[in-house]
Amino acid sequence: MSSDLMTIARSGANAARYALDVTAQNIANAGTAGYVRRSVSLSEVSGGAMLYSAADVSLHGVRLSGIVRNVDGFRMAEVRRTGSDLARADAEIAALGSVESALEQSGISEAMASFKAGLAALKTDPTNTALRAVVMENARTLADSLNIAAGGLDAARAGLHANAADGVAELNQLSTDLDKINARLVRTPDGTSDQAALLDQRDAILHSMSRIAGVSVSIGAHQTAQVSLGGQSLVSPTGVTALGVGTAPDGSLAFDVGGTPVSIVAGSLAGTAQGLTQLNAARAELDDVANAVIGALNSAQASGVALDGSAGQPLFGGTGAGDIALLTGDPAALATAPAGAAAGSRDPGNLDAMIAAFDGSAAAADFDNLLSGVSSAVAGRMVTRDALATIADGANAVLMSQSGVSLDDEAANLLRFQQAFQASGRVMQVARDLFDSILSIG
Amino acid sequence: MTGISTHSFYERSIGNMTSLRARAETLQTQIATEQRLQRASDDPVAARQLRRLAADDTMAAVYKNNAAVAAADLGLAEDAIDQLSNLTIRAQELATQAATGTINDAQRKIIGDELEQIHTSMVAIMNTRDSSGNPLFGGAANGPAYAVAADGSASYAGSGQPAELDVGGGIVISRGLTGPDLLNYSVGGTPTDLLSVVRGLAVSVQAGAPGAASDARTALDSLTAGLDTLSAGQAVIGARQGRVELAVTLAIDQAEARAADRIRLGETDMPTAIAELQEAMTILEASQASFTKLSSLSLFDYLR
Repeated sequence: MSSDLMTIARSGANAARYALDVTAQNIANAGTAGYVRRSVSLSEVSGGAMLYSAADVSLHGVRLSGIVRNVDGFRMAEVRRTGSDLARADAEIAALGSVESALEQSGISEAMASFKAGLAALKTDPTNTALRAVVMENARTLADSLNIAAGGLDAARAGLHANAADGVAELNQLSTDLDKINARLVRTPDGTSDQAALLDQRDAILHSMSRIAGVSVSIGAHQTAQVSLGGQSLVSPTGVTALGVGTAPDGSLAFDVGGTPVSIVAGSLAGTAQGLTQLNAARAELDDVANAVIGALNSAQASGVALDGSAGQPLFGGTGAGDIALLTGDPAALATAPAGAAAGSRDPGNLDAMIAAFDGSAAAADFDNLLSGVSSAVAGRMVTRDALATIADGANAVLMSQSGVSLDDEAANLLRFQQAFQASGRVMQVARDLFDSILSIG
Repeated sequence: MTGISTHSFYERSIGNMTSLRARAETLQTQIATEQRLQRASDDPVAARQLRRLAADDTMAAVYKNNAAVAAADLGLAEDAIDQLSNLTIRAQELATQAATGTINDAQRKIIGDELEQIHTSMVAIMNTRDSSGNPLFGGAANGPAYAVAADGSASYAGSGQPAELDVGGGIVISRGLTGPDLLNYSVGGTPTDLLSVVRGLAVSVQAGAPGAASDARTALDSLTAGLDTLSAGQAVIGARQGRVELAVTLAIDQAEARAADRIRLGETDMPTAIAELQEAMTILEASQASFTKLSSLSLFDYLR
């Protein structure tokens, strides 16, 4: 006796039950992030024809050979790579956007135009205290707006440093988690539902890691993942190496893996580092603008006399945009008259020199160039970001078409496996009927 | 096997509807604020031009004020010169009377008194203040343009040149004339000025001295030359007023050009924006309707 109808039917019913379980699991996790659609892999049980001839019937039904995770490594890698690029572009745009806001919303352009207009208006009556007061208040507004912009940039810089530190801490935590999952994968047999669940977690961690930094992933024995960054190993079978971040002398971010410097070219950390470099450049240019204003007006003041006939004193103090400040609020302190003029002189000779010095310092033009440069960079990066987002969406759609759960498919499977189960039940009934008909002989 | 995953169907639908809604909101903001650009990176080139236009507007306001100040001061100078001319003509009439030999000393005294009044009026006119309260004909000085000595003679006390005003378009206008520009001239190579001529005549005629009639005759020539100098000053003022008017006309044209640029670069084109908003809303409604239809389509509904 090499074949048993009842055993075959039982194995068929069991297989259908497993398939129904997997279908139910798929339906339950249809909305779970990172869940990959499972299916059952079945194989026929036959053979064992040792004692009998080859023509003998030797059938034993079906068995579950494993749970299949419907995903391939290439599509996963594409999603990681494109997601990494998109995260970099997003982080860079966020950084540049904050630079643009800090420069534009501080109203430096308007303050410079008003200051120059105030000086030009003072020419109608250089001894008029009201007009002088307007110039002084415009100067104060200009200094304040430069302070605000510098403060905004400094706050954005602190924010970017914090972002980088958070990203590095998160990446290191993910490395540790991945190492634990690797250890469990080594002990988990192939084709089990446990392994499938662990692989889901592994892939989710790899996605998170690649969004933070453009890591290279290789899959080793037992489906364990090895991760490296810039040629330096982060997670390997021998353990985890931590990523570190510091500030280079020029204010940019310096990354290292276990003390070895690495450069990060993708992921949000790369975008943050690129944004920070541009922020530092913008901050230095803003200081140049502030220093141009300070230098031009203070030297113009020095070559004239104030309303009371005394030598002109410096108007602005400070060494950059962060600390530029009006040294005096006294309208009489404006040195509109040329050196040697008497007290109360209406001679606007030095006022002309002041306007010429302000124009000559090109502070307004330089600031305009700075703001234009940053806003053009934001606009350009937006185009790149949209392109990268389209690419990432495409890669994701390709992956999802393979690994995502479709409820319609699962409904069809539910029906199919239910029918398979019912058919196996019918086979059992036939087996009993056959047995009964033999018992009823005689 | 490729299929449409339920999760990605929902995500894609949500993504599409979100981006449509975002576009509609951007258009709505553009319509509500009438500003096409919400931040410089929306259009860096246009934003830069808009900043330049705003700076030009700020300066244009100053130039407009400068032009008004210059026009007011030049108007004051014109009025002053008109009055000086009238007074000089009256002085010529009086000098002509005084020069005739038929009047007696008592009558000359009366003529001399009137000439002295004319001198006083002239000094007062020369000490007129401008629209900023500074001496109109005193150059850059703060005090009165002409100081009156104890004996009644007046001398120029101003200094320097009147301030120049930038009225836009590269046009710089001197806002007035100095006293000497208006009153000093030479007769037969001898420098003199209108005030001292009138005062000299007044003193001479009042005294009724033997030479009064001949002094008056000499003064007549001098007064005619003075009147010519005043006319020259009036011509200068008139030319400057012409330049101010030119600058004002230019400024109006430029302001219109800037306004047109600002509308072109920075303001929302309402018909386009409203049409685009309508389009976005229609597409959004259609997406919502088709999403509802598609998402209600489930095989489970047919499993019995």
